[in-house]
Amino acid sequence: MRTSVLSALMFVLLAAANIRAEEIVVIVNPAAKPLGKEQIADLYLGRSGGLTPVDQTAGSAIYAEFYKKATGRDISQIKAIWSRILFTGRGLPPKQLPDSAAVKKAVATNLNTVGYIEKSAVDASVKVALPLD
Amino acid sequence: MNFKLTLAIAASMLAFGQVAHAGPSIDQYVTFSGFGTLGEVHSNYSQADFVGSLVQPRGVGYTNSWSLTPDSNLGVQADMHIVDRLTGVVQVISRDDAFGNYKPRVEWANLKYDFTPDLSVRLGRTVLPTFERSDIQNVGYALPWVRLPNEITFANSATHSDGIDVLYRVKTGAVTQNLQLLWGSTTDNFPASNFHATGLIVVSDTLQHGDTSVHLAYQSMMYSYGAFPPARLRIGSVGFTYDPGSWFLTGDSNYTRDGFYGDFYAWYLSSGVRLGRFTPYAVYSTTRAPSAAPPSGVTSLGDEHTVAAGLRWDFAKNLDFKLQVQRVTIDSVNLPASFANLQPDARVGDSANVLSLALDFVF
Repeated sequence: MRTSVLSALMFVLLAAANIRAEEIVVIVNPAAKPLGKEQIADLYLGRSGGLTPVDQTAGSAIYAEFYKKATGRDISQIKAIWSRILFTGRGLPPKQLPDSAAVKKAVATNLNTVGYIEKSAVDASVKVALPLD
Repeated sequence: MNFKLTLAIAASMLAFGQVAHAGPSIDQYVTFSGFGTLGEVHSNYSQADFVGSLVQPRGVGYTNSWSLTPDSNLGVQADMHIVDRLTGVVQVISRDDAFGNYKPRVEWANLKYDFTPDLSVRLGRTVLPTFERSDIQNVGYALPWVRLPNEITFANSATHSDGIDVLYRVKTGAVTQNLQLLWGSTTDNFPASNFHATGLIVVSDTLQHGDTSVHLAYQSMMYSYGAFPPARLRIGSVGFTYDPGSWFLTGDSNYTRDGFYGDFYAWYLSSGVRLGRFTPYAVYSTTRAPSAAPPSGVTSLGDEHTVAAGLRWDFAKNLDFKLQVQRVTIDSVNLPASFANLQPDARVGDSANVLSLALDFVF
């Protein structure tokens, strides 16, 4: 009786731990210059150029979480901001890549590309510019 | 007929766009996108037609009680990456126009060359940055309300310029400025005559700091329309938006000097709160022509004021639904800004209660 209650409690706690989102990090090419939080926000809100930001798939959890943490805005606001940039001919929204592996590959092979992946997916092919908390 | 053609073009572009997006390549030659609004409007005021844009020849109230024509539109856009630093863009829009049909027209088509990431030159047809949101006035999805308040655009129906413009972005500390210098001309066809403007110059600056942006613009042009004497039109506008995310406050104002019609001033102020997927908002807007004796002899041209409130619901990806109610009060019987076909029994002080439903989408 007590064992099963304990098991149930552990199960709930473990489940809760898994539900909590994984930490996201912003990655750049290993030879690239360091980036600050404001620079990253500017880049992903279309306020600055020079570097090429890439997104994960819109609608994915990491996409929403990244924008919330990096820019403080939710995805419908992000969509409205980029719609304005797109439909005034000032640029295109960041390219969407299918998963973290694709993001890493794009960043590793391009000096100017910036992306975001789960912290656990980081390897030697990329450099962490900023962890997002 | 023409609206269906636009719809067919859009559908095929969308299909092509889906195919083009299928591959993971970073460098795409052409990217297709688009936007649209399906809007239905109702007005209880039968002495005039409420319109969604000042060029529309008829609207809702007098001609029909309910109508799709004031706000419904469709826009398709192609962005072309030609070579490094050179891009092209074409945008075609279909909305109820001065002729009362949805003939698709090229809103803009230009080539853009990026000298640096912060300095670009565009050649061709570009959008006029006259007001804070003039560049997105057709994109319902990017607006917090159903439509840009009719009062703010009353003094200037021109939306694009054929010529050249320079875009320069400069960051000073935490302030980013987007400067724009434009020079060109514009022509618009109306049933009675053609509107032609030359020597069109616009200087505009959008300053952004954190959650605040301020838009300043000055526009000048010489225009002629039909048999009226050519006149100089000058507009100065100041607008701002404060948007920390959970709520927003935005306003825009402009002062116009028209060589024939006299002076005008217009402004709006709006605020909204974001509660999950819902954004309730309120707007007050007005336009006044203070000149006592303009050369045209027409006083109080356009005078009206509007109180509006509504709700935006971002119910699904790339879609939103809006419900807006507003009370528009006529302060003049000389072409109040939101109305066409004003009837002889319309009186100063009359109010129209207008209900608008809109479904916005982007693709």
